Parts: sequence; C-alpha cells; structure tokens
Amino acid sequence: MIEAIDLVKVYGRQRALDGLSFRTGPGVTGLLGPNGAGKSTLIRTLATVLAADGGTLSILGRDPVADRLEIRRRLGYLPQEPGCHRGFTVFEFIDYVAILKELVDRRARHDEVRRVIGEVGLGEVSGKKIRKLSGGMRRRVGIAQALLGEPELVLLDEPTAGLDPEQRLRFRDLISRIGESRTVILSTHQTEDVAALCGRVVVLKRGRVEFEGTPEELRALAEGRTWLSGERAGVLSWRTGEGLFRNIGAAPDGARLVEPTIEDAYLLLLGEAAWEAAA
Amino acid sequence: MTAWHMDEDMVQRYTAGTLAATPTASVEAHLLACARCRDLIEVPRERLDRLWDGIADAVDVPVPGPFERLLRLLGVREHTARLLGAASSLRLSWLAAGALALLFTLLAARETSRWGVLFFLTVAPVLPVAGVGMAFGRGADPAHGIGLAAPYSAFRIMLMRALAVLAATAVPATVLGLPLLGQTWALAAWLLPAIALTVLSLALASWFEPLYSAAAVSSVWVLVVVGGNVREPSPVMFGAGGQLVFLILTIASGALLVARRKEFS
Repeated sequence: MIEAIDLVKVYGRQRALDGLSFRTGPGVTGLLGPNGAGKSTLIRTLATVLAADGGTLSILGRDPVADRLEIRRRLGYLPQEPGCHRGFTVFEFIDYVAILKELVDRRARHDEVRRVIGEVGLGEVSGKKIRKLSGGMRRRVGIAQALLGEPELVLLDEPTAGLDPEQRLRFRDLISRIGESRTVILSTHQTEDVAALCGRVVVLKRGRVEFEGTPEELRALAEGRTWLSGERAGVLSWRTGEGLFRNIGAAPDGARLVEPTIEDAYLLLLGEAAWEAAA
Repeated sequence: MTAWHMDEDMVQRYTAGTLAATPTASVEAHLLACARCRDLIEVPRERLDRLWDGIADAVDVPVPGPFERLLRLLGVREHTARLLGAASSLRLSWLAAGALALLFTLLAARETSRWGVLFFLTVAPVLPVAGVGMAFGRGADPAHGIGLAAPYSAFRIMLMRALAVLAATAVPATVLGLPLLGQTWALAAWLLPAIALTVLSLALASWFEPLYSAAAVSSVWVLVVVGGNVREPSPVMFGAGGQLVFLILTIASGALLVARRKEFS
C-alpha cells in the first residue's frame, strides 16, 4: 500500500526527511515523533502535496509524481491545521470539498456529503455554520471531508491535538471504525492514541525511522529498563505523584523494575531528543 | 367514504407526473383516504428518487449566495459557481466594497481636473489585482491545505476566479464610469493594464503567496505611474504606444504563467 525507501526532503539546510524508509498496509498506522521529527512533512509527501527530493516512494502501488492525480482520487487528507470556511454551513463546506474531489454530479455529490456527515455523527448540525461549532465538532468536519469518495488511504495529521479526553475518546472510536476498511496513517505525538488505535507504529526522530513494528513490540523495548527509585537516575527520569522517580534507561542491579508503557519506550527511543523537543 | 375514484387516464397522468398542480393536490388528498385508488398508483422508482432528492435538498442543502445565484442565472454550471462563490473576493461583501472603492475613485477623478483621469487609470487596474490576490492561496482560502491534495486542478480554479474577478470589476467600472467619468477612451484604457497586471501577479504567484505577489505588483504599478507623471500629469502612457506595451506584458506574463502552471499543483 505504501512503501518508502531512503526518502529525503530538504528545506534549505534542514533535512526534514533524512533517508526515511518504511512500509505499511491496511489498518491504522501511527506516526509517532516529537515536533520537528518529520511527521507532517512525511504526511504531506504521502498526500502528494510535497515532492520528495530523493529516495523512492510508492503510494497505493503508484508513483506520486507520475500518477499524482490518480493517487489524489483515492486518498483522504486531513492537514494539521485544516481550516474551514467558517461562514459556510457544515453541508456547504463538505459539498465544496466534494467538488474539489471531482464529485461534480449534484445528486451523487449530495448523497455522498450526507453519507460522510452521518459517518462522523454530525447529521444534527449539518445546517449549522462552522463558526458556531465546538473545536471537537470542527475536527469531525475535517475528518468528514477526508472520507469523501470512499478513499482507500486516509492521512490524518494530528487529528486529536488540543482535544479534551471525552472528545479524544470519540475520535478514537471514529478513527478505529475508519481503519476497519481502509489504510489510515495517523500522525500524532500522543502515545495513548497509538496504544488505543494502531496496529502498527513508526517512530520518527530527526527525519529517520527509529522504530517500526507493533505497539506491543515498541513497549517491549523498555522491558527491564523502567524502574522506580528514590533518586533521579537513567537516561530520562521524572518525579511521580508518589514522590518516587520513574527512571528509564539501563537499570542498576536491584532496581525496582516496573511494567513499562508505550510512552516509556518512546521516550527511551528518543533519549536526549525528547528533552530537546520539549525545550 | 367517497364515491369518487380516479379513472385510468388520471392514474396514468398522475404516475407520469404530467397532471397539473391543482388536480395533483386533490388526487394526493384523496389518496390519503382511499386504499382502493392507492393500489392503482405505481410511481416509477426514478421519479420517487427525484422527489426524495428534492425533499432532502430542501431540508439540508443551503441556499446559494447572491453571487453564486447570479452565476447560475448566467449559465455557469452549478459546481463551478460554487467554486467561484467560495472565494472571499467573489463574495457579495467584497464585491460591494470593490464597487464602492471604484465609485469614490470615479468621483475623485471627476472632481480633480489635473490628475483626475490619471488617478482613475492608476487605481482601477489595482482593484482586480487585489481581488485576484484575495481569491486563492494560503492567506485567502481557509481550506487551501485540503485543496492542495484534491484532484481538481488548482491552476484551473485560479484562472476561473481571476476571470470572474476581472469581469466583476469591469462591469461596475463601465456601468459607473460612463455617467460619472463620461470619457469612454479612459474606460477602455484601464482594461489592458488591468489584464496585464493581473496576469503578471498570477505568474508571480507561482513563486510567492498570491497576496504578496498582488501587493508587490500593485505597489510597483503605482510607483511607476506616479514616478512617470510627477512633473506633468499626462495620460500618455495609456495611449496607443502604452497599450502596446501592456499587450506585450500580458502575452509575456501569460507565457510565463503557462510555463509555471505545474507549480500551482
């Protein structure tokens, strides 16, 4: 479905993608990484919005340069900051995007607009202006437009950023349902989203793939390397609510090992980059 | 219970949808109460679908804006009208502001004899350039990011919107200009510079944000006209020789635009 080999994208002196390689297929794949790791650049490249400067890329079995239009007809894309015409109603906006997706026959287009609005549970507010919707509903409008035309590949760039826990729960339900019948690439820096949704995870660091596998395989990386102690130790550590330090890294003899989470493994992989990204 | 029932001819005309509105309403009122006549009615699936679509559209499809409706009246296809109507500079508020700016320009041009016509000829071409700058691109189109990954040609949308903006400027310029300015040569003389500057700003938009390229082209234009007329205001640059230069600029910018068209997608 998607195969990237030694992908390179350069902005001036910065290599946003630096020899990145990965392969994925149906189901939900999570792209995990700190800010600046290359997640959005990769998503934009997969959406054919950006062209790679080097390497080989196959999307839906096609070349994104030669077959760009064919790929665009088969993909749905939610950018990180999608933007909507806020004066439009939900129906009007989705209808507008449907035209951009070449659904020009009025009757078929309106049927499709109703379908995607229903799929994301916005049927009740279909006639409401977008400016009057909550942030979570606006995100759902973004997802609805990405589902127009039954795309085989859905690219979602940080769809859960800034949502409260209830809204994220609703989103997870929605994205998991979308992933049942399609290939979904979900860019996020929320490890909980990956644990809850993804069959595969790709961790990016400075434009390269640091890890590729299942969430469980990712979590297992921190097995035997996560422990609690009374003092700060390890590569990364922080004080927990109990007053102890949760440390990640090579554990000393006799350390009180604890069950690691995906977040522990992710932080372990990032190492110093985790602090740099948080700075 | 009624003794009246639909005859065969009426049933046929009703199911074919050829019965007039008043008898149709009577028939439908009767059908609600008469099972015998209901059994005679077999509406084709296609007509039922059409009826249902009409109902669904009436419930949730919003009424298009005035500009979109005007385009439809002019014969523009429904989906094209929607793409044009979504541009901020093709919305009624923007068009009204443009017409107002044009009106003030014309009034000022009429009142000041020395700079009058020159003032109009300088400002009028800037209006479509500004409108085109506001018609597409990251700064003007909130859904620009989504549109970039859509199969519909961004280049085509840009050209359609530029044409619509040019037309939306030329019509009020002519309608307002004739009675206010009264100088028909001046009303024609601004058009070619307007087209040349618009096409140039479109070509530059393949490198820069459309808003920036429109601002740059407009600024350079104003500086050139003011600089060339600072000693003695004269509309000579809008004469035959000047028009030829604008024509060449239009052709050169058009060629550049076509050569750079892939940059828009």
